[in-house]
Amino acid sequence: MKNISNIFLSGIVVFSMVLSSCTDDLEGIDGNPRNITQEQLEVDFQNVGSLYKPMFENIYQYTPPWSYQLQQNLNADVFSGYMTNPRPFVAGANNTTYNLVSGWNNFIWSVPYSNVMNNARTIENETKDEFPELFAVSQILKVTAMHRVSDVFGPIVYTKFGESATTSEYDSQEEVYTAFFNDLEEAIQILSDNIDSPRFTAFDLSYGGNYENWIKYANSLRLRLAIRISKVDPAKAKTEGEKSLSHSNGVIETNADSFFVNGTLDHPIKTINNSWGDIRMNASMESILVGYEDPRIDSYFNASEVNEGEFKGIRNGLPLLPGYDDELAQKADYITFSLLADEVLTPSVQLMTAAEVFFLKAEAALRGWSGTGTAQSNYEQGISTSFQQYSLSGSTDYFSNTTLTPKDYLDPVNPANNIAALSDITIAWDEGASNEEKLERIITQKWIAMFPEGQEAWSEYRRTGYPKIFPVVSNQSGGAIDTDIQIRRIPFVDSELQTNPDGVADAVTKLGGADTPGTRLWWDVAGGNF
Amino acid sequence: MKKTILIFSTFLSLLIIQQVKAQEKTISGTVTSKGANATPIPGVNVVVKGTTRGVQTDFDGRYTIEASSSDVLDFSYVGLIPISMTVGASNMIDVSMEENLEQLDDVVVTALGIQKSRKSLTYAAQDINAAELSKVRQTNPVNSLSGKISGVVINRSSSGAGGSVKVTLRGNSSLGNNQPLYVVDGIPLSNPTGGQPIDTFGDLNGGNKDGGDVLALINPDDIESLTVLKGASASALYGSAGLNGVILITTKKGRAGSFKVNFSSNVFAESAAYYIDLNDEAENNIEDFFNSGVTSITSVSASGGTENAQTYFSYSNTFASGVLPTNDLKQHTINIRETAKFFDGVLTANASVLATTQTIDNRPVSGLYFNPLVGAYNFDSPGERLSDYENFEELDSDRNIQSQRWFRATSDIEQNPYWILNRNASEDTNRKLLASMNLKFKISDWLSLQTRGTYDQTFLGYDKEVFATTEATLAPINGRYIFNEQDIRQIYGDVIATINKQFNNITVSANIGASTTRNSIEILNADSGTNGGLQFANVFSIQNFNANPGVSFSQTSLEKKVNSVFASTTIGFNDQLFVDLTARNDWSSSLPSGNNSYFYPSVGLTGVLSEIFDMGDKISFAKIRGSYAEVGNDVPANTVFPERQILFGGGLNPLDPVRPLGEVRPEQQTSYEFGTEWRFFDNRFGFDIGYYHTSTIDQYFQVPVSTGTGSVTVGVNSGDIINQGFEGSVFIVPIQTENFKWTSNINFASNDNEVKEISNPSDDVQIDNQVVSPPGVNTFASYLVEGGSYGDIYAQVVKRDASGRPVVEGGAIVINDENPDNTIAGLEKVGNANPDFTLGWNNSITYKQISLDFLIDGKFGGETISMTEAIVEGLSNNTQRETTNGTIEVANLAGDVSTLTAQEYYGLAGGRNGFTGEYVYSATNVRLAELAIGYNFGLSDSSFFRNIKASLIGNNLLFFYKDAPHDPNVTLSTGNALQGVDILGLPSTRSWGLNINLTF
Repeated sequence: MKNISNIFLSGIVVFSMVLSSCTDDLEGIDGNPRNITQEQLEVDFQNVGSLYKPMFENIYQYTPPWSYQLQQNLNADVFSGYMTNPRPFVAGANNTTYNLVSGWNNFIWSVPYSNVMNNARTIENETKDEFPELFAVSQILKVTAMHRVSDVFGPIVYTKFGESATTSEYDSQEEVYTAFFNDLEEAIQILSDNIDSPRFTAFDLSYGGNYENWIKYANSLRLRLAIRISKVDPAKAKTEGEKSLSHSNGVIETNADSFFVNGTLDHPIKTINNSWGDIRMNASMESILVGYEDPRIDSYFNASEVNEGEFKGIRNGLPLLPGYDDELAQKADYITFSLLADEVLTPSVQLMTAAEVFFLKAEAALRGWSGTGTAQSNYEQGISTSFQQYSLSGSTDYFSNTTLTPKDYLDPVNPANNIAALSDITIAWDEGASNEEKLERIITQKWIAMFPEGQEAWSEYRRTGYPKIFPVVSNQSGGAIDTDIQIRRIPFVDSELQTNPDGVADAVTKLGGADTPGTRLWWDVAGGNF
Repeated sequence: MKKTILIFSTFLSLLIIQQVKAQEKTISGTVTSKGANATPIPGVNVVVKGTTRGVQTDFDGRYTIEASSSDVLDFSYVGLIPISMTVGASNMIDVSMEENLEQLDDVVVTALGIQKSRKSLTYAAQDINAAELSKVRQTNPVNSLSGKISGVVINRSSSGAGGSVKVTLRGNSSLGNNQPLYVVDGIPLSNPTGGQPIDTFGDLNGGNKDGGDVLALINPDDIESLTVLKGASASALYGSAGLNGVILITTKKGRAGSFKVNFSSNVFAESAAYYIDLNDEAENNIEDFFNSGVTSITSVSASGGTENAQTYFSYSNTFASGVLPTNDLKQHTINIRETAKFFDGVLTANASVLATTQTIDNRPVSGLYFNPLVGAYNFDSPGERLSDYENFEELDSDRNIQSQRWFRATSDIEQNPYWILNRNASEDTNRKLLASMNLKFKISDWLSLQTRGTYDQTFLGYDKEVFATTEATLAPINGRYIFNEQDIRQIYGDVIATINKQFNNITVSANIGASTTRNSIEILNADSGTNGGLQFANVFSIQNFNANPGVSFSQTSLEKKVNSVFASTTIGFNDQLFVDLTARNDWSSSLPSGNNSYFYPSVGLTGVLSEIFDMGDKISFAKIRGSYAEVGNDVPANTVFPERQILFGGGLNPLDPVRPLGEVRPEQQTSYEFGTEWRFFDNRFGFDIGYYHTSTIDQYFQVPVSTGTGSVTVGVNSGDIINQGFEGSVFIVPIQTENFKWTSNINFASNDNEVKEISNPSDDVQIDNQVVSPPGVNTFASYLVEGGSYGDIYAQVVKRDASGRPVVEGGAIVINDENPDNTIAGLEKVGNANPDFTLGWNNSITYKQISLDFLIDGKFGGETISMTEAIVEGLSNNTQRETTNGTIEVANLAGDVSTLTAQEYYGLAGGRNGFTGEYVYSATNVRLAELAIGYNFGLSDSSFFRNIKASLIGNNLLFFYKDAPHDPNVTLSTGNALQGVDILGLPSTRSWGLNINLTF
């Protein structure tokens, strides 16, 4: 019986032990110790430093490549006339045929917000007072990423970013551009004041911590944005542009100073182009480069298989064409057209070149801004700088040519897609020509030089109408987009419509037109350029 | 079960204080079954009433026991009507026992292993015994529940043998887990899954794969019975995990006095049976492609023991080769169970160990990535057969490597199927160890104390070797290696005091206890990725990974601890009225420390009408029951304060972890149910019908917010999802003669689900829907929408003109825009994946030694989309309707009418992101789910074997009605996503087999 009472006692002891464990400190059990705490992150200032790499690598998203494909490749890279998809995705009912795929276009919005805006805000909170130069670089990266977003949608969330927990308020595009100019001005000032600080070197994927180069880039970016608003607000454009042109550090003038992101991964288009066979040369590129006998064509593209030895592009906006059972059958025909060449698909992603800056200055000269030099000299220097970028000679012969024009386009597998060239603009500068013709020349050459960065090319096409790229073969917008005027923007994304309906409704008011792809943005003014 | 009866009856007898002292003598006898073919029944409990003295019958049904002539002997055996015999003058008592049709007086194992008499239950519980489970053997025993228990919706995974099962009791209520809790011998089982697919496109990291569940790791022959406690009241004592109902598994134990060896062998052959309607050529190709699958399940068990120690041992193996070539499964399970009594029965110790190892080669995937069915369904190379590509590689002399061979350029979704099977091969290695110990002290007649502990470890391993020249979207130039290990552990301990006391007419049985559960999971994932790559082609090891950020390595460790105290009591009045009360408080480590405690009670009432009123001869039994329960729930580990993630070679993950918007609160479910149960005409006919209502509020879930906030998703406590319905069962014995007996059970249930609220206005979240199955870049999605139902499916719908003609403009079909209220992101609501009504009709007919069992299983209502058909019509012209030259009249926006061939029209409508609204089918189906024809060999006493039974079995044999091209009972995911859609899932199979059962 003693045994039994012992057992009973030990039972009671166990019982009370379990009971007392209920009030045990449960804290410290939750959480994943394989992640990094804020305290651990602050060592080596990584709480700030580690935030730059994702910012650099998501302005133009490196990885995963399919996400870049949706962020830019299946919209601006195609709308710009640079590239075309050989596969008529969604049985030919996709962005490129103006049957906009909202699931794709979410990425244009979400990638920069999740990777750039977020980090810029954290950097601002943690560095603005203590290490302002770190904040300044972050601001320049932020404007780089977000002007692209505004150039797609119009109004965006910018000045009121992060102010509320679940919804957000948009700025009109005019407000956003004003904010861009202010942010760049502030950044340039801070960097000028801290020009020797070495703090950013370890985190810099572009200029190795050299703030002079950052200032040149910020000035050039300000010039780009000023030119962008030159039609809608000429006075503001001139003021902002001239600030850059007169700045002591100047703008980007050599290829060595061009703004590239020197990422650690393959160029995303390389995978899309080489591995997946999902992108090829655009018919407009073929028409202009082949027409101009432009030597850069070998740097940009490979000769096609379909017409061996020749460069062959594909028309924009191909539906699932008659005679093909399915997307893959059609792709099998078009995949043999010209690939993009590996030379433009290095791990360094090109975001702003010296050549572009010369063309911006050429246009600024046309518009009578001070501090530019002549339009012709900038135009010709733009061309030769672009040639130098690809180690090509013969730029003088090229920019002196008065006869070559864009050529008609022939589709070797479906002649129904043949189309005559839309412009007979020649290369050589003609000082006697109208400003409109001069601008066509400048923008056409800028368009060639900026390849493969389709976002800026599409924006400039919309602003100026140049170069005259081919319209889509199939327009499935149901009347929202005029085939000849082409697509002007992308409607606000589904994720915003669902999570922030009031904010979007307000944004539509600020857009000043219906939330359709045919509505012009604030800086996109119809009619002539002068 | 028999053991449990013994314990229960022992308790009852202890309550009777009176002790009879009389002259004892030795009684012996034989227990046989009733009827023409009376056979001895081994293992029957023979107990002297009012004492703890008891024995069991031996092989030949014989027993010997000491008793006095005034004693009463109680004979009991699971499934048989108990008999009491007064000893009297005779020293020889032979008994013949009759089958208990509904076992209404039997005991049911309820929460925490507590046994209750069925009539006292205040909520719905239904069970199924070993005999029923083993009639038509399933590799996952839970599959056997379909149609046999009302209100249980079973969806098998499309991943073949070893696949998991989706079990839904009383509808879906949670955005998290909707699966019931499994409890083995009173202890909650950890049932992790290696993950379930959610993507409509497919998982780039190995395809949409089923991570399996642990039920597939249990040997069905070890199961004595399965009891389903459908509602929360039944499970309040299990805590949060029992929110969705509980499936109790009682395993076999050794029995005193009877040594028995059982051998059972099942072999069945299966064939791919239910898939889309292909044209002749494609059909020939697909028939060549699929194998005839063979599954063999063999098990042997031995059990026996003495009064004080009993042993049960079993070993089983399963070898299966699937209908998908190269897919096979090997599984071995060992189960040992020991029971011993010490100190004159004061201490009972029970220990068991279950160990399983399972290997699955090429577990079938669904979706578009790594799925051989894409190439198999879409092969259309004129003049060639798919089998010409069985030789799947050829030498690429430029690289000196064997490279993939296919009739056209491979694409992200389409490769040579034989290449995928042989050169993108995967292996799943799963192991389970479940060790438990249970000590029970009988302190006095009315009080006992027990303590239990379990160590439950599940290891899930996955390995995929992707050879060079695999499609570039899936693997870089030198191939790819994916390696994943998950080690999931649960340690459980409890202490429970049990009180059983009788005061005059009032019986009280109460339990008070405390438990602690600690769950941990360690995940190691290594993947050379689609961009990272391998240094040397086709060498599959981690050291061969390229050192760049494109490869991923990650480790995850999560832990959670829940401490609980609980109490329950059942008070019976005169055996007529029972009141049931439970209460539990949990403290969870996953909740914020100031708010980590939550309490939930339940109350139930039962009146046994047939005991209260005299209802005459025709009514054998009648009762009514009702109960109300609340259940609280915590949130997953690492929810409240998630830290930022580091990416291998990629620095800090730019995406912030999802953080709660405000203070996280425990979730809550309230439910009530009532029902009634009647039996008539000496148990020849009876029914049980009940109504239930559950409301799940304050669920913790993630909602998307405007990206302009700086977050993408935040966590909120919100929502109200309501499920209500009827469930019931009817049993009837239409024929019962000496030689011929037919019993029939009908189970039916309806469930009506309503999403009453998604976001709480006070949370400032402007959403009125929540994604359950994200559309990705395809045109299928499932959303929870206020006013809608769980499982609503959304598809891209064709715009039609006034005459119903599809509108085609500019060479493309136009999307319908006339239903904006039911449209989310361009996809329109086209149906719901869940059935409105389920009906099962289970029959058992015996004539002398021959038996015939069949189960007709029906689900009514609901829709399902065949994205498979859409994909095949988008990628090839292989469907029958594209081949037979029908035409379809279409109109353009201006109203001009023209004609398209079926091939042209479906070419436009098809595709993974096509007009899935054209591929919606009714999910209603009625099938012959199980058929078994058996013969029980009558053996003479001198035979070495005690029993031999052979049966021919058939599974999923035919559909009496089915609209969809696929089997709607099969699901791509046993989680919440991808319900009501087939995206190139492995076709459901039909199987025939043979079962031999030997006892000696």
